[in-house]
Amino acid sequence: MVSDIGRKQTPVRGLLRLATAVACMALVAGLDRKGAAADEGDYYRLISVATSEAPTDSRSKNWRPAPNGLALEVSGLAVVDDQRVAVAIRKGEVWFLDGVYDDPPLDVTYQRFASALHEPLGLLHHQDAFYTVQRSELTRLRDTDRDGVADEYRTVAKGWGLTGHYHEYAYGPKLDREGNFWLTLNIGLGLKGPQLTRTIRDATLGYRQGRWRGWGMKVTPDGELVPVCAGMRSPSGIGMNAEGDMFYTDQQGNWVATNSLHHLQEGAFFHHAEALASMSLPGSTIHGVETVPGGLPYPEALARFPQLRPPAVWFPYEKAGQSATDIMLDSSQGRFGPFAGQLFVGEFTQASMHRVFLEKVGGQYQGACFPFRSRFASAVLRLAQAPDGSVFVGLTNRGWSSLGTAAYGLQRLVWTGKTPFEILEMRARSDGFELVFTKPVDVASAEAAGSYALASHTYLYHSVYGSDEIQKRTLTIDEASVSADGLRVRLRTHGLRPLFVHELLAAGVRSRDGEPLLHPRAWYTLNQIPQ
Amino acid sequence: MKPDLLIRGRLSTLRAASIGLMLALLAGARLSAADVPPPFVPGFERLARHDEVAPDVAGNLLLAELSCTACHPASNPALRPKRGPRLDGAGNRLNAGWITDFLRAPHQLKPGTTMPDVLHRLTSVEKTAAVEALVAYLGSLEQPFPTFKGNGATPVPVAFWNLGRIEMGRGLYHRIGCVACHAADEDYETVETSPTPLDKILEELGKEELQEMGLAATARRVDSVPLGDLKSKYSPKSLTHFLLDPHRTRPAGRMPNFQLGVVEAADIAAWLLRDQQPRRDAENEVSATATGRPPSIVADEAANTLVEQGQTLFVKFGCSNCHDVARVPHGPRGKPLSELDLAAPVQCVGSAGPGLPRFVLDKTQREAIGAALQPSDGNGTPDESPPAARPADADADAAEQVELTLLRLNCLGCHERNALGGVGRYRRAYFETYANVDIGDEGRLPPPLTHVGRKLRTDWLARVLRGDGAVRPHMRIRMPVYPAEQVKHLPAHFEAADRAAPMRSDATMGTATADLIEAGRTLLDTGCVQCHPLRGNALPGVVGVDLAGIAARVHPEWFREFLLAPGQLKPRTRMPTFFPEGKSQNPRVLAGDAERQIAAMWHYLKQAEKHRLPAKIEAARSQSYELIPKERPILLRTFMEAAGTHAVAVGFPQQVHYAFDAEQVRLAIAWRGRFLDAEGTWFVRFAPPAQPLGVELMRFPPGMLLAMLVDSEASWPELDTQRASAHEAGYRYLGHRLDQQGVPSFHYRYAGYEVTDRILPDGKHLLRTLTIRRRLSDPPQPALWLRGHAGKTLEPDGPAAVIDDRGLRVSAGALGATGRLRRRAGGMEWIVPLEFAGQTSLDVELRYQW
Repeated sequence: MVSDIGRKQTPVRGLLRLATAVACMALVAGLDRKGAAADEGDYYRLISVATSEAPTDSRSKNWRPAPNGLALEVSGLAVVDDQRVAVAIRKGEVWFLDGVYDDPPLDVTYQRFASALHEPLGLLHHQDAFYTVQRSELTRLRDTDRDGVADEYRTVAKGWGLTGHYHEYAYGPKLDREGNFWLTLNIGLGLKGPQLTRTIRDATLGYRQGRWRGWGMKVTPDGELVPVCAGMRSPSGIGMNAEGDMFYTDQQGNWVATNSLHHLQEGAFFHHAEALASMSLPGSTIHGVETVPGGLPYPEALARFPQLRPPAVWFPYEKAGQSATDIMLDSSQGRFGPFAGQLFVGEFTQASMHRVFLEKVGGQYQGACFPFRSRFASAVLRLAQAPDGSVFVGLTNRGWSSLGTAAYGLQRLVWTGKTPFEILEMRARSDGFELVFTKPVDVASAEAAGSYALASHTYLYHSVYGSDEIQKRTLTIDEASVSADGLRVRLRTHGLRPLFVHELLAAGVRSRDGEPLLHPRAWYTLNQIPQ
Repeated sequence: MKPDLLIRGRLSTLRAASIGLMLALLAGARLSAADVPPPFVPGFERLARHDEVAPDVAGNLLLAELSCTACHPASNPALRPKRGPRLDGAGNRLNAGWITDFLRAPHQLKPGTTMPDVLHRLTSVEKTAAVEALVAYLGSLEQPFPTFKGNGATPVPVAFWNLGRIEMGRGLYHRIGCVACHAADEDYETVETSPTPLDKILEELGKEELQEMGLAATARRVDSVPLGDLKSKYSPKSLTHFLLDPHRTRPAGRMPNFQLGVVEAADIAAWLLRDQQPRRDAENEVSATATGRPPSIVADEAANTLVEQGQTLFVKFGCSNCHDVARVPHGPRGKPLSELDLAAPVQCVGSAGPGLPRFVLDKTQREAIGAALQPSDGNGTPDESPPAARPADADADAAEQVELTLLRLNCLGCHERNALGGVGRYRRAYFETYANVDIGDEGRLPPPLTHVGRKLRTDWLARVLRGDGAVRPHMRIRMPVYPAEQVKHLPAHFEAADRAAPMRSDATMGTATADLIEAGRTLLDTGCVQCHPLRGNALPGVVGVDLAGIAARVHPEWFREFLLAPGQLKPRTRMPTFFPEGKSQNPRVLAGDAERQIAAMWHYLKQAEKHRLPAKIEAARSQSYELIPKERPILLRTFMEAAGTHAVAVGFPQQVHYAFDAEQVRLAIAWRGRFLDAEGTWFVRFAPPAQPLGVELMRFPPGMLLAMLVDSEASWPELDTQRASAHEAGYRYLGHRLDQQGVPSFHYRYAGYEVTDRILPDGKHLLRTLTIRRRLSDPPQPALWLRGHAGKTLEPDGPAAVIDDRGLRVSAGALGATGRLRRRAGGMEWIVPLEFAGQTSLDVELRYQW
């Protein structure tokens, strides 16, 4: 049966039927907008290419894919052209989906390109080939005889440890401007039995993990595997910003207070201490860690642990998601709305997307995150922007849980052309913040201090799972002043604290047309206060 | 009152309201607001009003549900009053405007409310003052909303109550069970749109015909529990929180807890408040710990005084008899229930006396209460006396208690029991399955409760009532949770009430033996697995109740009787009879002994997880997950115990398979017969190693295949297998290439050599072809050797082959003749020099036979 899966042009009828149903629902959803407060869907419309409704609990040991069609648990996503995308799916295949730009996409065809990959968690289209990171290696897939199916599975790089623990996911690759492939390696959890025979141990600290577990690596165009930075727990997202710097996201858990976005810099250490098991391996960029502080407020931990680098952005737990995933640069130059050049971050548990504004202060990135779009059909794992600016969103929630009605699928997010009233940028100032809006603000509401609420907090750096927000403090807005063009508001306050997350709620601000902000909240990670 | 609606979209009349009015007029009751409908008690409206329960039961239902017994103590604990919502937190849960309007005229604002009018005797001026004080008091009762903690399994977005989407909420409202009690939206389209054949018959029959045929109840429209004006009452935040934990404010649990996710609750709230503007609560919190409004600062003494007045009135009018507020005492109580006289001039019903709450009841309701208050046996003992005081049969009493509980909690809105209740013909269509699979009414309607005490074990019933007993994942309807206090007695009462026919004991199932269990496994293949999954596995397209765990749910006696005669226990069931007239249709198993066959299935199911799945389910699993190479090889990259974490398993149609270890760069294991099951690799979170399914497993010796040796005496380099050792020894695995037939060749590098390694079945053996190319024009030094075999003991087997003590024979063609068999630490090895003789490439053929 399995061997008889058509190798070419396999229309998956079950999926089509579902897609039709979803398309119909989208029409009915017009109801939602009847004279009501603004809805995200008015600005960014969600089109289901294929989603699978499954009553089975995503954590059930008896999890099963939907009975009909392909288990489209999208774990890698590469836009091929203006007709097709290629997706990697978790069971280990790569498929071409044709007709995905149709609206509604009622005639999508499926063609299998590659199979027998070990839980590939990324897909890159580069120089007429596809690259994916399997659990054990970076692989290049090529169709050398041009029959539409890959026949060459070339190992570009390998050499990281894989003890056999399920949590040892490997993500990527993403490409930088020098042609390096970046990949990230999950930490193993509670290794035991035969898994331990595949570990290495750091003599100083005593940590045991598979080699390079918890590290960010790059693979040069020549195939050399180069360790870059360490301390990752569950780094499921990698991406490049407009300046060409590489970033990754991490997820809350042991040693990780809450989800975070980091600049991948050589020698940087981020969270998870067990990654230091590889500290003494040849090629390591982290040296001389003798003790790892635990149970300290994050600013204090940074002072005691010189290799530790603060994230560019913290995503406060629940408020700004519960499991950050992919990173996508909006390089559409406006075809995806007013956020050109910003980063977008996928969110697994809440089936949503966040938006990130970054600026450099003191030579390091820091910035703010904002809610962007919720209500995807399932956990958002992968994001890829198409030439027309729209964004394909790969979904799968197996093994964990998420909002949404589906277990997996592919959706496409399209800007409707309407500009939402949003905080476009939140910039740190020596005495407060400057907000840039997507539309001119109503001066009276924007200059009223009561339109804003501001508070700050930090986290504990410790080995336990996640951290509460600690050392909370409310800040008062001393003054809010609007620029002549109405697009900028300077907020003056006192009591900014470096290395603290500053949470803003601008619920009272209205646009000149009287609209409230579509998302009135922002969280700025104030690692440094600009002078 | 909101009408529920015909599936076909035809509006019904405001039936209950008009009947109530009509009866009130007939009774000649003097109503100040003549169009006030009587209080709506679902069980009463549906059944008691139509004489389908005994008059005293109907009256008791009203006495309890109208909370008469909150003021008039009853000795029968079954008549504990329903009482009203807890009002702690009313200040930030309920809109002040709504409280004002409701207090002024409860029945006008919420027709059908069971709350009496307590201010009816006040003059307009007095009333205004009293309402103002009560609203001030209730407004002062603020309480933070509970917080919900998110984690990997529980999404809790920020300000989730503002995220509700009307359309999503509309879907949930119509699918999960809200419309079992409340009215459906007339425009909502269900999948089932055409009337059933029974509907057609019912349509054609007149009222009397229906009566005669006993179909009146079936034909009747079931009125909906009124929702009132929710948009004036709640904000999205307060309604969302109410839906998440209705029992926090309404401990009586008439609104059950659907165990909603926070966004689901917000969605349903958005639907219920769809006409409200604005649709969001103001967000004014930036701290996760601050919830609810900060305690209001009462500005002046006057306001304080008003609040105090309100509290005094709250007690004086008896509000606190029904509404709990922390530290507020009960108000005045009336006479005990046993001393009440409906004919008395001053009373709560009808034109109530001063200081008494006024209930506007219609004639039927009054008569029912009259019947319940009537001494039942002529000696002055009212019927509401405690059950223990009567010499009645305890089981019959349990049956009465069950009946009253099912009426009070409106369980009968969904479940049928003893021909009462059920979802009713106008609500059926809202009960759907996922993907609309048709498995009959049993597959979509809540199960009937007739004989349920005989069927289900009490501990299982208790689990179901705790919300932990969902066994019908195919249904969209959800069984909600009721407060433990309201239902804790039900399992035992069901058991006692349904004890009627004595059933055989567990002992008759006999003892479980291996043979019996295997027979049970065999029997399940005939008829059972065609409709039931087992341990999450099922034949294609089959959805239904999983049979695993059935022994923890049902009594063995019921299991036996149900198998023998399904229709007797469950009319109209789709479960076929496999034992017509008690005889087995399968004489080949257990000599056709029906009793033993049933026992065999019982014992198999009792410990199903310890035994193999029934053969047909195993076969179906294989269809989905077993990799069966038919025309081309199949590959699977996975974890394998024998081939490591970089295993590449290759299965061939010739039924000879192997796994290559891409980390150690070696052939690791081969086997024959069935290949692999891929489910663990594809879909199981914990990524278990794949196990070869076949037979004649042969593990190949570990270590490097190729090495450079200074001379023939040099020892073969050993690898530290705990590391990426082949890599450290200079091996570079480069991946594989598939040829036109899908056969992989593995590529790797070692020192100055590039190797293509192709392994194919050769009959029942494996033929391995190595093509070794020199990458440099100068031959690397020292010379290259191949280790063809290694083991504890090796013996030559012909001129160019060796065989080990396990029976693995390795031959190397002509090259093998130059091989050397030698001792090594812990065993022997067979090494072969690879002479390039000026060529850049060398082909080596190894044949593995076992």
